[in-house]
Amino acid sequence: MRILNLTGRYFALLLKVFSRPERHSVYARQTFNEIDNLGVKSVGIVVVISIFMGGITTLQVAYNMSNPLLPVYLIGLGNRDTLILEFSSTIMALIMAGKIGANITSEIGSMKVTEQIDSLEIMGVNSASYLILPKIIAVVFIFPFLYVLSVFFGLIGGLIVGPAVGAVTAPDYLAGIQYLFNPYYVTFSLIKCVVFGFLIASIASFFGYTVEGGAFDVGTASTRAVVNTNILILVWDLILTQLLL
Amino acid sequence: MIRIKSIYKSFEHKEVLKNISKEFNKGETNLIIGRSGSGKTVLIKSIVGLLEVDGGHIFYDDRDFTSMNQKLRKKLRQEMGMVFQGGALFDSLTVEENVRFPLDMFSSLSPVEKQKQVDFCLDRVNLVDANKLYPSEISGGMQKRVAIARAIVMNPKYLFCDEPNSGLDPETAMVIDGLVHQITVDLQITTIINTHDMNSVMEIGDNILFISEGEMCWEGNRKEILHSDNQKLQEFVFANKQYQRIRDEKIEGGKS
Repeated sequence: MRILNLTGRYFALLLKVFSRPERHSVYARQTFNEIDNLGVKSVGIVVVISIFMGGITTLQVAYNMSNPLLPVYLIGLGNRDTLILEFSSTIMALIMAGKIGANITSEIGSMKVTEQIDSLEIMGVNSASYLILPKIIAVVFIFPFLYVLSVFFGLIGGLIVGPAVGAVTAPDYLAGIQYLFNPYYVTFSLIKCVVFGFLIASIASFFGYTVEGGAFDVGTASTRAVVNTNILILVWDLILTQLLL
Repeated sequence: MIRIKSIYKSFEHKEVLKNISKEFNKGETNLIIGRSGSGKTVLIKSIVGLLEVDGGHIFYDDRDFTSMNQKLRKKLRQEMGMVFQGGALFDSLTVEENVRFPLDMFSSLSPVEKQKQVDFCLDRVNLVDANKLYPSEISGGMQKRVAIARAIVMNPKYLFCDEPNSGLDPETAMVIDGLVHQITVDLQITTIINTHDMNSVMEIGDNILFISEGEMCWEGNRKEILHSDNQKLQEFVFANKQYQRIRDEKIEGGKS
């Protein structure tokens, strides 16, 4: 019953969010600010995580390929497909749900408990649309770019770690990451990124916008937002994989 | 003028406002007073539409706010300004950007005209050299003044202040009171202030509504308040020894 209530309130909020903006220029400026704040400022952590992710995946694929009949270049291929299909989209989404999602919930939640949202409403501004729509557009727009960046640096991570520990030579690794490349895998993951971006921004905004109480409640809302977003990302990952792959 | 008629409001079977009716006049500082938890904030939030009333009507110059749809309410809200208890300034914007925000959102003024209006309002609340500072970099009193400047930047017809003096020292509180009163008279707007500060009541209370436990208990002005024989009002007003002394002196003066 509680889940139904939450779902109903979530969709009611989305209806309010996707209404006609009061002033397009203000919303556009706000969207660019959010792209910078939520997207560009996440590039650093995406690069670091992706390098380690690529490196570790390369090591683990190499460790599991003890059969001498298997060509060594499969290590590069394994790393590439793992990154493209799952790690750079789903794992990165789970991490971003923590970083971006908690940021959004705490920002909007703090505005709620300090009456800044009431203040917007009194001015005649649709507070839900003004605060949430630019965040959704920004995250949905930037997430595919972060995905591409993650794949690139994940492959670089493999290229650094694989030859460094003697698991694979650089030419074999490079041959592997170019072997039997299927561009549809990228398309599939980009679709996932758009869906995950929407889930991260909208769920985090919902929990922030509906918070009541004080600082403690904002903290609780942030935790609930991240947990719920993570679960929904995994559910949608399963659905999209079944539907599209 | 704002007129409220038979307002009722409940939260989960607890009746917070019971049959409250009152007229708030233009060009006067109208005060809603009462103890903490008496329903003042619920009343002011109901008047501005942040809370939906369960019964009754709210009229803004004979326009029935309670029967308006969201579109009409949004339009009417552009005629309102509100100063919240904590200021409710946008943390991510500077003082100047906070004041300019309603203009950016709704006015068709040029950037130069907007800046002139912002400077005029900040000057009106005696705030200079703070334009580029963020709310976290200024004092509580200055934040309240920025909030007042933001509330009047669109030349509102109705101004609402929820506990504008909370958290301020008595001197700054008097400055804020004086400012709100002056703006009300100069701009001839309808101002409603929520307060439990007796100094404010005695300084600027042109038209006062006293509520207790969600019920309307007394109405009058600052001159009448000291002579009222309403028991609940007396307990509220004379909880402060200073006002007990003023009453006693007046009684003594009357005798001699």
